[in-house]
Amino acid sequence: MTDPVQNETVSDRNSRLYDERLRRYVTAMRNGKPDRIPMRPFVAEFAAKYAGYTCQEVTHDYEKAFAAARKCAADFDWDAVVGNMVYVWTGLTQAIGLKYYGVPGIDVPPDTGFQYHEPSEENAFMQPDDYDALIADPTAFLFNVWLPRVSSDVAPIGSPATYRNNLSFLKGGMAMWNYFMGFGRQVDLLRTESGTVHAISGILKAPMDILADKLRGYVGLCMDLHERPEKVRKACEALAPHLLHVALSGADPQKNVPITIWMHRGCVPFVSYKHFNEIYWPTLKPIVLEIWRRGHQTLFYAEGKWGAHLDAFAELPDGSIIYHVDQDDVFEVHKKIGHKFAISGGIPNVLLSFGKPKEIREYCKKVIDSVARDGGYIMDASAIMQNDMSVENMRAWTEFTHEYGVY
Amino acid sequence: MTPSHPLYDAMISGDAEAARCVTVRTLAEGVAPLSLVNDYMIPAMEDAGKRFAAGEYFVPDLLIRARAMKTAMAILRPLLVAAQIKSAGRVVLGTVNGDVHDIGKNLVGAMLEGCGFEVVDLGVNVSPEKFIAAINERNPHIVGMSALLTSTMYSMKTTIDAMVQAGVRDKVKVLIGGAPVTRQFAQEIGADGSSNNAVGAVAVAKMAMGLQIESTAGVYWRTA
Repeated sequence: MTDPVQNETVSDRNSRLYDERLRRYVTAMRNGKPDRIPMRPFVAEFAAKYAGYTCQEVTHDYEKAFAAARKCAADFDWDAVVGNMVYVWTGLTQAIGLKYYGVPGIDVPPDTGFQYHEPSEENAFMQPDDYDALIADPTAFLFNVWLPRVSSDVAPIGSPATYRNNLSFLKGGMAMWNYFMGFGRQVDLLRTESGTVHAISGILKAPMDILADKLRGYVGLCMDLHERPEKVRKACEALAPHLLHVALSGADPQKNVPITIWMHRGCVPFVSYKHFNEIYWPTLKPIVLEIWRRGHQTLFYAEGKWGAHLDAFAELPDGSIIYHVDQDDVFEVHKKIGHKFAISGGIPNVLLSFGKPKEIREYCKKVIDSVARDGGYIMDASAIMQNDMSVENMRAWTEFTHEYGVY
Repeated sequence: MTPSHPLYDAMISGDAEAARCVTVRTLAEGVAPLSLVNDYMIPAMEDAGKRFAAGEYFVPDLLIRARAMKTAMAILRPLLVAAQIKSAGRVVLGTVNGDVHDIGKNLVGAMLEGCGFEVVDLGVNVSPEKFIAAINERNPHIVGMSALLTSTMYSMKTTIDAMVQAGVRDKVKVLIGGAPVTRQFAQEIGADGSSNNAVGAVAVAKMAMGLQIESTAGVYWRTA
């Protein structure tokens, strides 16, 4: 009898791989045991390096970033990737004159990944006396007050409308439309060209993270937690429904891949237990519960150390989240919440960048033997992978996971 | 023993306005500026550092105390300079080439200042040439380098190599820090010391100056 796999066309092969990978990835995320451990490396500037581009090139031209991600996906036999983990496109940021990005080749060297500029406390995009306006109507505040502050082109309300102001909305809208629509095509190309699953869909931020990242700045937020904690709490409550809406509007209609929350300022030592318990978590938890009620999982991309808050996360329904380990001890996390949620990550970036293949295999073996033993584990690095990652190490890591990660 | 003084209390409660008022009033009463620094401000910052190390304080607690300290220090520094009072050591501080993150670096700067060091902050995205120029112009005891990303931390090595080339490496102690920095990395690139937090940064700076420290938690210091 002819082996059907041997004679299959490229298209059939990719379709079969896609189905296998999706099943594997989703089973693991639901805390089940698939045929082998799925790999979902969040490769950002690494993809650029691998495909022969500089950070500047992939940031300035999202088609290059898309092509680089697809090349990685095709060459490495990973189960799931993100269409463009570099995610910032200079075309969009410059179309509306956004001030908060440090762009390669413009603000930082051409081969350094983009970064966020956080203004000084005095120059924060939102000032302490803006709280009442934000709380009363977040949308109005963002459009009327915040946008003119974060953009070099948008004119403040009440000032003369300039040519650049008018053009910024046209350019910005067109740029956003082009880029975001490009993701739909990218998801499809990943599936048809290499049978790779797009790992995530939909973005969430904790209300307090938005307040820190884009409004008050982290230092400003710290002062507010000391001087006006009630306003901080009310602002987080006011932002919550908007953040839920944004998350759901980008969610996977098939309900396979999760909405991702990029969490950072709520962890130790950035805010106290008290502020986590009284503000960060009570204004985030209802969003995650509502997302779960609508049938979507949330990937907790827990940047930093969150070990002190695992009990709080364990209040969530079984399977509602996938917990990604950055600087936490992956073995401890597994002991504490592994029975409730799938776990991803926990392989230190420093090891993958600068370690030896032998050290990588040893460390991954420990993780696979312990954390992944009963399923519910997705192989990934601790943090997003930039161009310091060694190609040789990435190969060793992938080969070992494929070989040793079979159940 | 906990010092009993309104300046110490203002620092502990993080009340910048009270710190300013008390400093002005106490100076008017004839108290020496150095006594305010040594008797109340440094103990308050050291107390905050100990509580942070013990997991009792968090970064916001350090930041609000640092703000009160800076408010008082803005009044006291010109007086200390005029009286030619020496600091615990002069530190040139910067986030390395390619990296624009500064929260950690700023906190380290504030903690060092609060513990009696003089800090020359070069800002972010600082090239090796700028560090070398600062060594030549400011004559520091210590150069402190910060990086948040694994992709930028190798700029620390580039900077140290450039210091060697320029013949200034031996003029200073080089201390490094930031989320991805490990003891092993510090050893590999030839730094003198490292720390993974702002309180440890003060401890390792004191070690670099040959001063006594209470705890070496989270600190790497090379042994000769």
